[in-house]
Amino acid sequence: MEVQRSVRMSRIKACLLPIFVGLVYLALYAPIIVLVVFSFNKNPLSFKWYGFTFGWYKQLFSSVEILDALRNSLIVAFSSVFLSITMALFYVFYGVSSFLHRLMIIFYGSLIAPEIVLAVCLLSIFTFFSIPLGLTTLIVGHTLIGLAYVVPIIRSSYLEMDHRLIEASMDLGATESQTFYKIVLPILSPAIISAALLVLIVSLDDFLISFFCAGASVLTLPMYIFSEIRSGATPVVNALSTLLLVVSSFLILILTTFKLRTRVF
Amino acid sequence: MKKNKFESEGNKEYSFALALPAVLWQVLFLYLPLFFLVYVSFVKVLDYSFLKNVTLANYQILLDISYLKIIMRSVVLAFLNALFCLFLAYPVAYFLALRAKKLKNLFIFLLVLPFWTNFLVQAYAWFFLLDNNGILNKFLLKVGVISAPLHILNTPLAIYIVMLFCYLPFMVLPIYSSMAKIDKYLLEASSDLGATSLQTLGHITLPLSLSGIRNGFFLVLIPSFGEFVIPVLLGGGKVMYVGSMISYFFLETKNIFLGAAFTCFSGFVLILLAAVVYMLFKRFDKNK
Repeated sequence: MEVQRSVRMSRIKACLLPIFVGLVYLALYAPIIVLVVFSFNKNPLSFKWYGFTFGWYKQLFSSVEILDALRNSLIVAFSSVFLSITMALFYVFYGVSSFLHRLMIIFYGSLIAPEIVLAVCLLSIFTFFSIPLGLTTLIVGHTLIGLAYVVPIIRSSYLEMDHRLIEASMDLGATESQTFYKIVLPILSPAIISAALLVLIVSLDDFLISFFCAGASVLTLPMYIFSEIRSGATPVVNALSTLLLVVSSFLILILTTFKLRTRVF
Repeated sequence: MKKNKFESEGNKEYSFALALPAVLWQVLFLYLPLFFLVYVSFVKVLDYSFLKNVTLANYQILLDISYLKIIMRSVVLAFLNALFCLFLAYPVAYFLALRAKKLKNLFIFLLVLPFWTNFLVQAYAWFFLLDNNGILNKFLLKVGVISAPLHILNTPLAIYIVMLFCYLPFMVLPIYSSMAKIDKYLLEASSDLGATSLQTLGHITLPLSLSGIRNGFFLVLIPSFGEFVIPVLLGGGKVMYVGSMISYFFLETKNIFLGAAFTCFSGFVLILLAAVVYMLFKRFDKNK
């Protein structure tokens, strides 16, 4: 009797965690699912179902403004991922033995300063030196945030890796750069990929830096969406976000399979 | 051995230069502008004669109770949001790292996915749920929990709910990655030696995932403090937070001097908050 009860209790306990996690996932997904469903609604401004339509998607693809914004967003995101990962890797590998290692704290600076402070700072310096606002200033800003996310991730996994491997490589005659490419890079690749993923996400999501630093000529997707939400033209935003969801799930799928392969190496 | 040492010393100048760009980038585009912003906050008119017309007038204006209230509101929002995120994220990260075996990658994929939809879109999507005629109210009315629709939209509650779920992946991912590194034999040994799962959690999993918790906490705390989009879109824009106040100064009144002073002042408050949290974590880490 007692044993039966404790078995039942432990079964209930074992179920609690999955149920909790399930509820969290439900809360994460419910808004998105509703959004996707309503992007096919004939009257998406209402909370009632009026029938199925592809009309908003047609409208989406005929908009030059949206395609232009998408292109700008992608250019900025990929440039800042490349720049921040490259600089962070070089900093961590080559800087760890020098005094630059102690300067690690400066990378937390762009984390301590919230995005809006960074945006305001960048805007004021760009205007002060009369640098024209545009894609370049956007990439500068996004790389700045990117470094703050990437450097701590890559550094901590570099410090956690077995440093005897590096010593062994150097002892066996490999140069510093050979050790970097053949030993450090493969071992750090899970960290690099997740860091790159994070920067890509942050950059694509970023609204504030873009809002302050893009100037009047350049529009990114978040800026477009923000202005749409504010002006109340919702149906196209629903369709646009549904498409973004499809594209990005595809991208993440590629990245996750790639990550698995490198981990097995 | 000797040759290698010689070689690596010869390379030192070259490799040192490779580490520099990341540092320079931060100095040029963060610290220099930051100093510039601080300078602007102390002047009333911008000219090139440094230190000539330095004044505290901007800060005197800010010592008004309404501005202090705005800053405190953001402090509370940032801290509580990070805390709520931690409570929600820790079980999820635990599940992902230690329980979900075959479906682990699917779960991580599903966690990162909403994160990829634009932040604005995510915030906007909650309109459909939280509106007076929205899905949540319809559901609750049908079930019979409430008799009249709840007014969640355009209240602080809406801000808190949406921020919690928008920032959740920022907390889960670092905790997960620190937990995934824990040697599974430690956990096995702990339970073999008679520890309950709660004891294992407290003595092994929690201390070993503390670095992840700390990283996640900062990743949520800091952007939450300056959050602009969610309070503006879901809070109705009536209640001001630090982010909306700064953009008001810079983009609407175009008073960059007062704006700079407000930014510096709230930045200082945030540094204090972050320092306090950092010290707390450090103490916690030492006690283990």
